[in-house]
Amino acid sequence: MALTSPYFWYTTRATGIVALVLFTLVVSLGTLVANRIGGTIVGRFELNELHRSVSIVAMVFLFIHILTTVADSYVSTGLISAFIPMTSSFKRMPVAIGAVGFDLLLSVWVSSLLKVRIANRSWRFIHWFGWLAFTAAIAHAFLTGTDTRSGAGLVLVGACAGVVLAAALWRYVGRPARAAGRTALSPLAAAKGGAVLEYPHSSSPAARLAPRSTVSPFPAADVSITERSPSPSPPAARASSGPFPRRPQAPSARRVRR
Amino acid sequence: MGMRRRSGGFLLRVNPILCDGFGHCHELAPELVTTDEWGYPIISPTPVPLANMSALESARYAVRGCPRQALRIERLSEPA
Repeated sequence: MALTSPYFWYTTRATGIVALVLFTLVVSLGTLVANRIGGTIVGRFELNELHRSVSIVAMVFLFIHILTTVADSYVSTGLISAFIPMTSSFKRMPVAIGAVGFDLLLSVWVSSLLKVRIANRSWRFIHWFGWLAFTAAIAHAFLTGTDTRSGAGLVLVGACAGVVLAAALWRYVGRPARAAGRTALSPLAAAKGGAVLEYPHSSSPAARLAPRSTVSPFPAADVSITERSPSPSPPAARASSGPFPRRPQAPSARRVRR
Repeated sequence: MGMRRRSGGFLLRVNPILCDGFGHCHELAPELVTTDEWGYPIISPTPVPLANMSALESARYAVRGCPRQALRIERLSEPA
């Protein structure tokens, strides 16, 4: 069966480049999530959702990249060669590296789909394969690429490699040990209603926690700090300027923020 | 099926050993989760009625969005 067209080849090349750029974006976004960036301008959860969404789009481009290569009978790369390394007579080694990267990415993808069913430890371990897969992708792009040996293609592959290398270094150097503090949404939420967090929902924790706070061992005067209450609050609590109220330092006042 | 009575309540529970303080749960379910000054979640210990659909949805988003899978929703049979 001779199913061949130059458009297959063009599609393979184009989707390969696009997939590489998208995977660069995915790895960078994943690093942003892992290093706890976000919370002020963009939410941390939004970066996480973007990481997921872009990864799906990248996988679609990768599937097209592979399918057009397999379908094109001009090169003798079969469907098996997409999964099993060293089975392609066309550019055996470069295609093998691409197959290894694809297998690693499949493991990352499937483990993420099964994330709620498998242990989080396993998922994290498999997720490290993403770095290996990206390394394989860079090598595959440079070795197989028709467009990546010179000119703009080479610059693009080099830029992708540089971005992910920087992300890897930053992931290693700038990783937070455990928590990285509040997201800025907390003071923003507090800024609306004063010292007490207020929520639009009727069953707000502030309302539900109110009776519990009254039985707290702290003085009752501290429990009722709010901008709207007529009771006089200490002038130190009002001294904050700017959009974010200064966090009260006294432990009894901090209790109120729950 | 599908006509399950929305009586009873639920609690959002965190596994403190798995939690690494990413803060996603607070962003996704601010009406259920606040954070302490280090960014770890403080979840309201009072059961939320299942009839509170928006809170339940927020809780589901928080469970799904937790990078450490440290959250779960615990259903309680008695009315809240």
